Amino acid sequence: MRVPLERKVLNENDRIAATLRERFQNHRVFCLNLISSPGSGKTSLLERTLEGFAPERRIAVLTGDIQTDNDARRLAHFGFPVRQITTGGACHLDARMVERALEGWPVEDLEILFLENVGNLVCPTSYDLGEEARAVLLSVTEGEDKPLKYPATFHHADLMVLNKIDLLPYVPFSAEVAKENARRVQPDIEILDVSCTTGEGLDRWRAWLDRHL
Amino acid sequence: MSIAAAVLETLRAEAANHGGARVARAGLRIGELSGVEPESLRFCLETLVAGSDLDPLAFDFEICPWTRRCRACGAVFHVLEWNPACSACGSSDTEAAGGDQMELTYLELEEP
Repeated sequence: MRVPLERKVLNENDRIAATLRERFQNHRVFCLNLISSPGSGKTSLLERTLEGFAPERRIAVLTGDIQTDNDARRLAHFGFPVRQITTGGACHLDARMVERALEGWPVEDLEILFLENVGNLVCPTSYDLGEEARAVLLSVTEGEDKPLKYPATFHHADLMVLNKIDLLPYVPFSAEVAKENARRVQPDIEILDVSCTTGEGLDRWRAWLDRHL
Repeated sequence: MSIAAAVLETLRAEAANHGGARVARAGLRIGELSGVEPESLRFCLETLVAGSDLDPLAFDFEICPWTRRCRACGAVFHVLEWNPACSACGSSDTEAAGGDQMELTYLELEEP
């Protein structure tokens, strides 16, 4: 007997993500999902971001890793609430992990909630976390063709942050080609050039965040 | 692997809804932009099914193309070579139309 189903495989994840999104929207919390390969600079970008916020700003971070709470410890220096999600093997965050990690947190009072995904350009793509926007980081020490190799990830992103631009004179990486590749996969993607080391471009990144509040 | 686990979880729940019937075959629809590599998913599914209560279980994959819709002429076209411009009229004013599907389409149940 053949039974038609027409059900999304990640139905349960999407259901939880929808409740998270509603909660964020009702309380005007801007939730941003940060995705990149390992080592592209997600944690560095968050360090520079938190460092620039006045202490009274209501900002929080959930940071996902397979093992260790190193990232949470790096980010906790800035006085904003940070929680580590240790996935214990899973190569992505899912909505249930986020829901659990938020238990007992005053999410409703936040302006911005950053979700730092596990470093991986594949698996995080499929999991809606209830975020309002998705940013993918690409650093100039990677390949210009990453957007073409991982089109799903770039296609689902609202913003591409091109990081480590201070290294452009030293690496055979064409920022123009990388951007063109990203726009082929996602013509509407916004792109920001930044260097977390020199601080170049971080003003534009902060302005981008402010526009979403 | 967690996507494969989610597929099997859904299959088990659906089988239970049908009086615990055995699932012989399941249909999956995977888009080119879903972030899932069909062959990897098939491998993970087969690994999880082998020796489990669901063994033997066959999977049918339907691959859906990455498509965009042209805002100028209305054509829905398959994106080839990452080219987002309309293949019918050449306009670059196009929007996402499909390819991120990851769905269970049908089950084939054996009567208990």
